[in-house]
Amino acid sequence: MRLPGRSLQGRLAVRLALVYLVVTILAVGLLLFRAFDSAAALNNRELRLRATDIARAVSVDASGAVTLAMPPALAAAYAASEDGDLFVVRDRGGRIIAASPAAFGERVAQWPLASEEPNWFRLDDFGPRVQDYYGLSVAMRTQAGMVSITVAQADGAHAFVESIVADFLFETAWIFPLLLAISLIIAIVVIRAGVKPIMQISERAAAIGPWTTSIRLPETDLPSEVAPLVSAMNRALDRLEQGMVVQRQFTDNAAHELRTPLAIVTAALDTMGDSAEVVKLRADVARMNHLVARLLSVARLDAQPLDVSSKVDLNETARGVVEAMAPWAIAQNRHIALVQQKAPVFILGNAPAIEDALRNLVENAVTYAQAGHEVTVGVGEDGSVSVADDGPGVPVEDRERIFERFWRGPDARRDGAGLGLSIIAEIMKAHRGTVSVEDNPGGGALFKLSFMRVM
Amino acid sequence: MRLLIIEDEARIAELLKAALEGAGFAVDTVALCADAREALSLAPYDAAILDLGLPDGDGLTLLKELRANGNLIPVLVLTARDAVEDRVSGLDRGADDYLIKPFAMTELIARTKALLRRPGGALGATLHAGNITFDTVGRDVRVGEGALALPRRECAILEHLMRRLGRVVPKQVLEEKLYGIDDELESNAIPVHVHHLRRKLVDAGAHAEIHTVRGVGYLLMETKP
Repeated sequence: MRLPGRSLQGRLAVRLALVYLVVTILAVGLLLFRAFDSAAALNNRELRLRATDIARAVSVDASGAVTLAMPPALAAAYAASEDGDLFVVRDRGGRIIAASPAAFGERVAQWPLASEEPNWFRLDDFGPRVQDYYGLSVAMRTQAGMVSITVAQADGAHAFVESIVADFLFETAWIFPLLLAISLIIAIVVIRAGVKPIMQISERAAAIGPWTTSIRLPETDLPSEVAPLVSAMNRALDRLEQGMVVQRQFTDNAAHELRTPLAIVTAALDTMGDSAEVVKLRADVARMNHLVARLLSVARLDAQPLDVSSKVDLNETARGVVEAMAPWAIAQNRHIALVQQKAPVFILGNAPAIEDALRNLVENAVTYAQAGHEVTVGVGEDGSVSVADDGPGVPVEDRERIFERFWRGPDARRDGAGLGLSIIAEIMKAHRGTVSVEDNPGGGALFKLSFMRVM
Repeated sequence: MRLLIIEDEARIAELLKAALEGAGFAVDTVALCADAREALSLAPYDAAILDLGLPDGDGLTLLKELRANGNLIPVLVLTARDAVEDRVSGLDRGADDYLIKPFAMTELIARTKALLRRPGGALGATLHAGNITFDTVGRDVRVGEGALALPRRECAILEHLMRRLGRVVPKQVLEEKLYGIDDELESNAIPVHVHHLRRKLVDAGAHAEIHTVRGVGYLLMETKP
């Protein structure tokens, strides 16, 4: 799994989510602040109205005393909620004209008189219920002149307004996280859609191999940020392909140019009878032919990687090689045998190259095997082919080195240039397989080509 | 027997012609695809030897064209190019055999004869191997001067070995050719027949020997008299 921080998509998504979260918190916070602010303003307004109502009810009675004559309904309301809604009316001298309840009056009596500028206050842990109050003191002009009016309201009385605010929040504010989630999903979808062509191009680019150099990446429908990279990549592929084509043509031409004169010399010598000199020359030319063939194999393997993607049945390949080599082996007075598996042994590879490798091994084995004895080609169930002879074998200390280019053993009987086994090693490397040599249980050497078996 | 060599390399064409004429064939040589087309339409050749890289076209194209026109002349392909792809596409397009340059002249002659030894080929009626003669029409086998009487199945085995003289005949092919689908086939039936045939050839003094390629099949090789 990729870390979100590693991919462009992930990075964008995480950052967008953070931005959305902050914005949501700010928006909801602002909304809450405004809601509670409005609620408080509402309270203040109500307290002022109450103060005004009370001021209207202040009058001078027949005896000239200042009294509070509230309309009965209002008086009843205040009387009914003595604990919740408090008021005190004081004259300019500080004498209490009216108070509800009386205890509030006693408390307020100690406060300075109010000015015309409203003075807001909080009163904590007051009254029989020991609750908090919020109130307003203000001086108001009445029929009886200026009086100081103090009204207060239990904090609990805010609950109604606050519950309206809370209802609003719970019923409406959830829309913000929802909007956040929706826009985040949309953002991610858009990002994904934007990145998709890049993913497709990557898949296509991954399919480009030495044998599929003609593939180019599509340059249409690309985000403009990526298009220059893709077209530069395509131009690089053009140059690479051209280079490979030139290489291939060169090895092909070299093969043709080298083999044609050799073919002429070989053929000419074949028509010249069997004098001792001609027989020697024929051996020399045969050696030359052998060397050129090997050098061309090396050049070909260097110039172009092997296509090892075909399904190959090792039974079939081994049988073909044994069939082809048998006449030559018998002419060298050696026997050759094949031990194959009953069911096909499939591997992924390049059949002609595996045949080349196997032919090389059989040639070596026939050369080193004792006259009249048998060289055995065996197909293993595990996806291997082995070639065993009863010759001198390969000393343990040489078992790595013999696969190096131009390595020749001290007792090299062969007219080889030390290329055969290195070619096999190259072919096996291209197959991600191995070539190894061990002691043949019956004496001699056992060379083994190991591949990965497929079903 | 008349052969057509299609080869643009003058020296090789010349040497091929000399060697094949030495082996008893009548040989014509051409260097271009166009000339090859004309020659093949004018004279009945028994086989063709075709080089792949020709100045006026690819030998493989010519071969494909021949086969498309229903011309079944046996074709031996020669190539100096890297064999891997040529070999595959050559055989796909109807080549009967192929040889990579450089090659030994004896090999070329042997391969050519093998093509002609096929049923219906110019050498297909009377087969030769060493001093063995096989008249495929009369089913008459002779070793040197003497007749060799063979049971039906041994005779059939010898015919297949002689048609592919010097090359391996898979045991499986012999089984398929010798036995019908309904025939009871014992696993050692072919080896037993081959064993008898081999002894009879040795006893008759044949200048050819049957070799066993264990796990694959058999091949008949000429021995020096």
